[in-house]
Amino acid sequence: MSSLALDPKVAVERVVGVGVLVLLAAGPAVFNDYWISTILTQTLFFGIAASSLVFLYAYGGMISLAQTALMGISAYLLGNMVTQRVPGGETKGLTLGWDPTLALVLAIVITTLIGLVFGAVASRSLGIYFLMLTLTYAVIANYFFGQVTQFGGFSPIAGINQYTPGFVGDLIDHPDKLYYIALGTALCVYVVTRYLARTPFGLSLQGIRDDPVRMTSLGYTVPLHRTLAFGYAAFVASLAGILLVWWDGQIAPGNIGIGATIELLVMCVIGGLARIEGAWLGAFAFIVINNYVRDVELPVVGGSFNTIIGLIFLVIVLVSPDGLMGIWDRLWGAIRRGGGGGRPEPAAVGASTAREAGSS
Amino acid sequence: MTEAPTPVEHAAPTLRLRGVGRRFGGLVAVRDVDLDVAHGERRAILGPNGAGKTTLFNVIAGDLSVSTGTVELFGRDVTRMPARKRARLGLARTYQQSRMLLGLSVEDSIYLSILGVGDGHLRPVTLPRKDRELRERAREAARRAAIDHKLSELVGNLSHGEHRQVAVAMALASEPKLLMLDEPASGLSRGERQLLTDLLLGLDPEITLVVIEHDMDIALRVAERVTMMHDGRVVVEGTPEEIRANQLVHDLYLGRHHYAADE
Repeated sequence: MSSLALDPKVAVERVVGVGVLVLLAAGPAVFNDYWISTILTQTLFFGIAASSLVFLYAYGGMISLAQTALMGISAYLLGNMVTQRVPGGETKGLTLGWDPTLALVLAIVITTLIGLVFGAVASRSLGIYFLMLTLTYAVIANYFFGQVTQFGGFSPIAGINQYTPGFVGDLIDHPDKLYYIALGTALCVYVVTRYLARTPFGLSLQGIRDDPVRMTSLGYTVPLHRTLAFGYAAFVASLAGILLVWWDGQIAPGNIGIGATIELLVMCVIGGLARIEGAWLGAFAFIVINNYVRDVELPVVGGSFNTIIGLIFLVIVLVSPDGLMGIWDRLWGAIRRGGGGGRPEPAAVGASTAREAGSS
Repeated sequence: MTEAPTPVEHAAPTLRLRGVGRRFGGLVAVRDVDLDVAHGERRAILGPNGAGKTTLFNVIAGDLSVSTGTVELFGRDVTRMPARKRARLGLARTYQQSRMLLGLSVEDSIYLSILGVGDGHLRPVTLPRKDRELRERAREAARRAAIDHKLSELVGNLSHGEHRQVAVAMALASEPKLLMLDEPASGLSRGERQLLTDLLLGLDPEITLVVIEHDMDIALRVAERVTMMHDGRVVVEGTPEEIRANQLVHDLYLGRHHYAADE
């Protein structure tokens, strides 16, 4: 097959992708306020955070549990820097009252730098050890902001979305604006991440995912690649953190606890860890289920979001380890075989073959 | 000849080992190996399974550190140099158990091999002119290894024999000064073996070649000198004719029990 000829599967995916984008761009003309401000805005920014996790796994072979924490770090940084001390009020954190634009840039830059440090420390670990290290980061961040009262403490830093940069404007009275900012950011993150995968940095990262020892003998500095990938993922997570506080207005230790960490992982697994699109698909499924299934009463166990999401998670893991995107990949394969095409399905081979090659 | 005194070259040899040993706990995989491979030489390393050939390869390439002795490449002491830096000096190798980049296409794998010895590993942008040149070189290497009909195929979808071809293409593509192939013919069909033999015979004379090979036919046709290993030691070194005529080689390959009984 010529590399110029467009794979029909890619063509179908592009058509669907453009269709979804047009629908999302139409925004309030198609969806009601509840969908715009609750379902879709959340899907977009949780999808951004999830995409940072999927990026690390699909292209780097690393499962990071620190993405929620990094999201929270940027949210806390922003909250501490922008909020002002109100006379007689009980505002938490440092209440520095800095310029919102400066604070926005600083929150993103500092979170990225923290990600680089985290990444450098974890870059020589693989598999379960990498996972445990990133879990440690998550726990540290959670306890740090929960217990160091100067930076936050047990109760949330609130009212952060009152202090937005001038070019962003008032988000409280204009939820559509936040929706479009989230959409634009998600689109940029998606395009840049996909682009990155085709650059020398991205390709060598995928080589490291497949066999770090081989890549070392080809001349690559594996830990440096891993560190920078983690830095990029931290940058992406920091964007999600900013959108989270602009949407919610507040940030609390609960936003970055173990529960929230697991929820982000569940989104990724439902959507599919092998492909970056899975991040938003998983976030969408999770948030829809979260909002609509809350009140459903199950026989015997009663009504519980966690029970239902747990069952869905279990089914997905058993039926399609590559999540909803994996189901689509397999469906396509089945249609193709039915129609008489013969090539083995290449999708998702990469991530599923990510080997934990030790130095043995 | 059984004592195998290595002739000392005047110019620095491409590869020089002195007293190289490697132990894994109580197991001594390689002991006290001296080896000189001259610039442009074709050298085969033979020996039964467990003779220490692959361990020796790993020590030369830097995947393993030595327990004793020194390794010199291109006249430089590289004993403490990490594998990635040795690669950038001009050493390319293949692996016995194919270590392939299964999630990448054939072309991308070869591209990474070229990029690895060059600059811009971390470049986060594509540069059309530079990348086109690198990819042209990758496709050229694929043609030489006769795998250019599978350029856009994922390596994970290829057969064992094709993996060997990709591995050879990757090694050639980086334009190494020292090419080390670990059992390149194992698992290949007769036709593929012929192809490989032709490729090795047609190799640029400037490239120094060290090859571990069980197929005596290929090894003795390609090599100018042969080093025979057994129990981690070099036991015989000579020309292919000498090796063919050597009784010890026959014993080691054809009658190991017989040899063991003699000891």
